[in-house]
Amino acid sequence: MSAPGYNGAMLRLERLRQDIQELSRRVIERQRRNAAELKTIRRWFDAAPAAHVIREQVTSAQRTDRVAQPVTDAPVGAQFTSNPSPPPNTVVIGVDGSQIPPDHHATVLYYVLQVGGLIFHYNGEAPFPHTETRLYFEEADLYDAEGLLITTQLGMRRTVAELEFLADLVESERRRTPDTPILALTDGPLLWPYRPGDEANRSRDAYLAVFDRLQAAGGILAGFVERPGGRYVVEMARVSQAAGDMASAYDGIEAPGHLDDQALMAEMLAPGARSPWFARLSETNDIQARRGHEIRFCYLNVGETGYPVVARIDAPSWVVEDAGTISLLHAALQHQTRVLHGNPYVLARAHELALVTSQDKALLESVLHRALMEQGIVARPSEKARQKAYLSRRR
Amino acid sequence: MSSKTATLTIGNVLRSDIRGFVVASRIPEPDVPTFGTFVRAPIQQGNAHLIGLVYDIRLQDDPFLRDLAVSAAESDPDFAEVIRDQREVRAVPVEISVVAVGYTRGDEIAYGLPPQPPMILHRIQVCSKEEARRITAKPDFLRPLLDNRDAPVDELVVRVLQRAAPLHSTSSTTREDYLLQASRYLARFLAREPLRLETILRQLA
Repeated sequence: MSAPGYNGAMLRLERLRQDIQELSRRVIERQRRNAAELKTIRRWFDAAPAAHVIREQVTSAQRTDRVAQPVTDAPVGAQFTSNPSPPPNTVVIGVDGSQIPPDHHATVLYYVLQVGGLIFHYNGEAPFPHTETRLYFEEADLYDAEGLLITTQLGMRRTVAELEFLADLVESERRRTPDTPILALTDGPLLWPYRPGDEANRSRDAYLAVFDRLQAAGGILAGFVERPGGRYVVEMARVSQAAGDMASAYDGIEAPGHLDDQALMAEMLAPGARSPWFARLSETNDIQARRGHEIRFCYLNVGETGYPVVARIDAPSWVVEDAGTISLLHAALQHQTRVLHGNPYVLARAHELALVTSQDKALLESVLHRALMEQGIVARPSEKARQKAYLSRRR
Repeated sequence: MSSKTATLTIGNVLRSDIRGFVVASRIPEPDVPTFGTFVRAPIQQGNAHLIGLVYDIRLQDDPFLRDLAVSAAESDPDFAEVIRDQREVRAVPVEISVVAVGYTRGDEIAYGLPPQPPMILHRIQVCSKEEARRITAKPDFLRPLLDNRDAPVDELVVRVLQRAAPLHSTSSTTREDYLLQASRYLARFLAREPLRLETILRQLA
């Protein structure tokens, strides 16, 4: 609540009323169109040719990076079930990361990466939490080649740090339990998500080197993507309706304008079921494939009857090629998501372990400030940062 | 009193005034201090330490726990590892309320309200047994407690004396000797409140 006489800005909901109504109307309209498009796409699935035919069709289609390609011979509309839990003694390791980005307005210039992980044994024992925190302050860490403060580079470094931490945990667990299946789970996609560039390419190479480590350690690597965007399977269904010369025939089939894979799979998959595995024929996936780590994906309904929750599961080809490994991954994800209503328990805990809160940041700033004071250096945040800190207390 | 004694850090000061403070803590359940535990907080730029007693412990819920609470069942093997994680490993969000009973400067202990409350985000530590023994060596630590109207003081007095008595048991004095000395102090202080005094003494007996 604002103090008497306070004239600061705040969200004026009454002024947004019309926009809120319009937004609601759009959502309802989108749902109506989704329902109509769903009928068309279900029809395409019913009439779809065999998976190997679609595989050829996708290869010759335009913009193949936007189309899912079946990687097995299972019918594209098939769904697969699994045991509700993995076998006893299976290990599931989840990791996540968080950061304090460099801030010109802070007391001094630095950034922090913190990664957290939980090792969950299916043996009735309490899981093991792990956290690693690093403070970066060298000029070379903070500025890019053009002398600009890093921005997207921090995300790349965090992505690599998370996967390296995961590999560390998998390797240490492997030394303890040489014969146990170890599922290594990340929160998000496994396909390297950054555009090419000097640092992006270096980071991508480091990232893929960690895939080598995970494979060598026998880790079952998977990425869990909640609320996945994209329309790759929808596009595949459209491509599957082409006949003869794929590229031209494909262009003649009207594209569904609204329905995405998530909405489609929410309708197609029963609770606990997964789709067949697909691949994307993108440039990045080609690079990963050349390094032996092509990414494949399936959709999994981790919700309940009447309340579907669709996640995309990314995994490298060397995980997907083994039927027993897929069953284990599927069963472990079923259990992990069941206990927390759609979100894997290990990832939720890893997020909690990795999280750097605003209170943590304030404490770090205070300790830094004191350490500098002890050395006779008076450093303080900028006036803008101090004002923001003051204003944020209204929240 | 030395602040270098290695003891458990339980969290940071969330809010404070001259009579006490609240600590925000995220520590595993087995490490949560109990009702009547002595804790210390740095004051006056670390030149002194406020001494206080834990009088309230509130386990906060959070969205994570709320999600689990609706489905987790103790007997369900699906949740065996999860429940152990929540109980034994996970940092439980806790608010611990502390009432001030005195402060230390160097090796000296002064009973009563401190010159300054602890500042926000200062780390709070549980006092060692030796520190607790030194604080409770004289019954004067009871005075600021008995004056306090915010905490459940009578139960707190009983608990802290029951915990302190064994610390003062030596070859020449017994636990009972210590409690007798404390009871005499209480009798003088609560002379005008005989019913309250009787309630406390009955619990100490």
